[in-house]
Amino acid sequence: MSSFRKFVLALAATFFAPWLCLIVVPHAKMKAQEISIWEDKELGTKSSYPAGTPNIFRQGQSVYAREGCASCHTQMIRPTYLGFESWRPDFGKEGTRAKPVRIRETRPGDFLGERFAYLGVQRVGPDLSNVGYRHDEAWHHAHLYSPRSKREFSVMPSFRHLYVKRKVRGQRSNDALVMGGDLDPGEGFEIVPTEDARVLVGYLMTLKKDQPLPPWLLEEEEEEKTGDAGEKAKEG
Amino acid sequence: MTDDKKADEDILRRAAIDRSARLPVLFFFTSATVWLVVSVILGFIQSVKFYAPGFLDAPWLFFLNYGRSNPAFMGALVYGWAIQAGIGVAIWLMARLCRAEVKNPLTLLVAGHFWNIGVLIGVVGIFAGYGTSMEWMAFPKAVWPILLSAYSLVVIWLITMFLRREAGDVYISVWYVLGACFWFPWIYITANVFIHVLPGAAVAKAATNAWFLSSMIFLVLVPLGLASAYYFIPKILGRPVYSSQLALIGFWGLAILGGWTGIQKLMGGPLPVWMPAVSGVAVILMLVPILAIAINHHMTLKGNHSLVETSPTMRFTAVGTLAFTFFCILSALCAFFSLGKFTQISQTTTAFQLLAVYGFFSLTMFGAIYFIVPRLVGCEWVSGSRIQQHFWFSTYGIAALVGLHFIGGIWQSSAYAQFDAPLENAVSAGRPYAIGVSVAWASIVISNLIFLYHLGLMVLRLGRRDENPALLGHQHHAA
Repeated sequence: MSSFRKFVLALAATFFAPWLCLIVVPHAKMKAQEISIWEDKELGTKSSYPAGTPNIFRQGQSVYAREGCASCHTQMIRPTYLGFESWRPDFGKEGTRAKPVRIRETRPGDFLGERFAYLGVQRVGPDLSNVGYRHDEAWHHAHLYSPRSKREFSVMPSFRHLYVKRKVRGQRSNDALVMGGDLDPGEGFEIVPTEDARVLVGYLMTLKKDQPLPPWLLEEEEEEKTGDAGEKAKEG
Repeated sequence: MTDDKKADEDILRRAAIDRSARLPVLFFFTSATVWLVVSVILGFIQSVKFYAPGFLDAPWLFFLNYGRSNPAFMGALVYGWAIQAGIGVAIWLMARLCRAEVKNPLTLLVAGHFWNIGVLIGVVGIFAGYGTSMEWMAFPKAVWPILLSAYSLVVIWLITMFLRREAGDVYISVWYVLGACFWFPWIYITANVFIHVLPGAAVAKAATNAWFLSSMIFLVLVPLGLASAYYFIPKILGRPVYSSQLALIGFWGLAILGGWTGIQKLMGGPLPVWMPAVSGVAVILMLVPILAIAINHHMTLKGNHSLVETSPTMRFTAVGTLAFTFFCILSALCAFFSLGKFTQISQTTTAFQLLAVYGFFSLTMFGAIYFIVPRLVGCEWVSGSRIQQHFWFSTYGIAALVGLHFIGGIWQSSAYAQFDAPLENAVSAGRPYAIGVSVAWASIVISNLIFLYHLGLMVLRLGRRDENPALLGHQHHAA
């Protein structure tokens, strides 16, 4: 009996250390993350980091989760020593609004207020960290309804079940999908997004993980990058 | 003369213990195998959908989209098949090694039913759109308490069994079973409470998820699989394990390092850098206990490799443990930045998970089932060639699948790394490999349909009433 007790105690002791260090401490520390507010002299505006996320985010993220988008899409831009993956030349050719303000790797603060950080499993489709910059809402709806209508080579499944085809009553809906060819619903019919599709696209539109970092964080980063060489250059 | 009498008594006693374990163990094996077949069929479907989303794409089949069928297949494979088969083997091993008859099989049956209901709700829930998209935790949030209570019942039963054992040395397999009893609830509660219940930082939750996946492999599946390997390899050879010292090193090395692994999956991610670094180091250090275990098995087997040819249990177990060593070496290699940056977020993920769950764990379980079931039902497996087919289709399938996913993942990642090339290149880079993987899946589906059929015959007592066990290879039914 006593040897059994010793055995269990030893198991507990060996497992307690990683449990404490990898689970409990990070959860406790990251929860207490501070939000810093500062004035950006160049832009003359007040900024905060982390900036947090709008409400549409949470509703849309649950659709993102249940449809399993995270099985193929990442939301993780790694530092350059692991790859250059923040932007590609053909990102956002159609309906691009603006290029991201600054492209940088994702940081813990970018996920403030999310229920779960869908960093991703594998990258079958492109990274979605900054997808909010790439397309407009109409593009997203058409792409979700029929991915191959926008990208011939796409292997994304169609999310038709998030849309309804209905008879036009009175005026055509403003949100009705504009699609030609085989996908045209026909005279007198229209395809409109359901609430789920609306919040999902709303969520995609808010995905802009490039909030400006506060000056002191930037400085820290600069120091890390340049290290001693940078300091010497400054002195010189 | 007295020795003979003692041996006879031993055999009778073992037979009595086996009989007492029949109902619960067969229940777990049969339902696990049904889940296995469900999951490999889903696995085949999701593997085709991976490159051809138009496959089975009728409007009412929207729930088969890759985003839902992939987590559903993984959930069915891990919780429906793997853990359930593991529980079945653990119960039988515990009864045998503690030399105690199974009391209260009802507890186990209740637990088994709850477990199956939990998995069913989970898999259907994912298809119905309640999944969470977290790896190995994709079941709807309501499911985890059901699975936890079912497993806890089994744990209580196993520990009671252990405390009622006949005095004597505790065998290595029992350490491992007790380890899995202890680790699963802790890991499972931690992950679910920190992710689903407590509010907290999203990134810390993602790290917990990565840790959960790896801990489930190293501290639940690996102990259960090794418990089986440590029992059956010496049992079939009829000689003791080569070195108990090495076994000790293997066990405690696993216990010390297992909980540190997993977060290397998120290296370069938005986490404090030390977290993936520590996990990476743990995975590399893990090679030490793994080497101890591998050497121990190899030395036990030394000179008797012909048994791997003829005994189904031996063959499955030996290939399974080999796959395990292979899994650990690959994991260690991919913990380095130079290779890891290509394998971290690509198809390779699937290769790793399936190498552990199918290549190692499932093959070991098949081996155990081929040994245990004839002793429970009192008849022999109908045909050695069915077992042979099961083995070859499974082994070729999983080897091809892991190889293709592994290389395909690296290929795909390097295409993504060319940031100035069009996106099309990156998307289509993994395609040929994915097509090959579907073929491998087809082979795995065939192999497990054969297995289900064969096991079904046994459960229905339609096996051979024969004294000679079904063997593999060119055995002659000599005089």
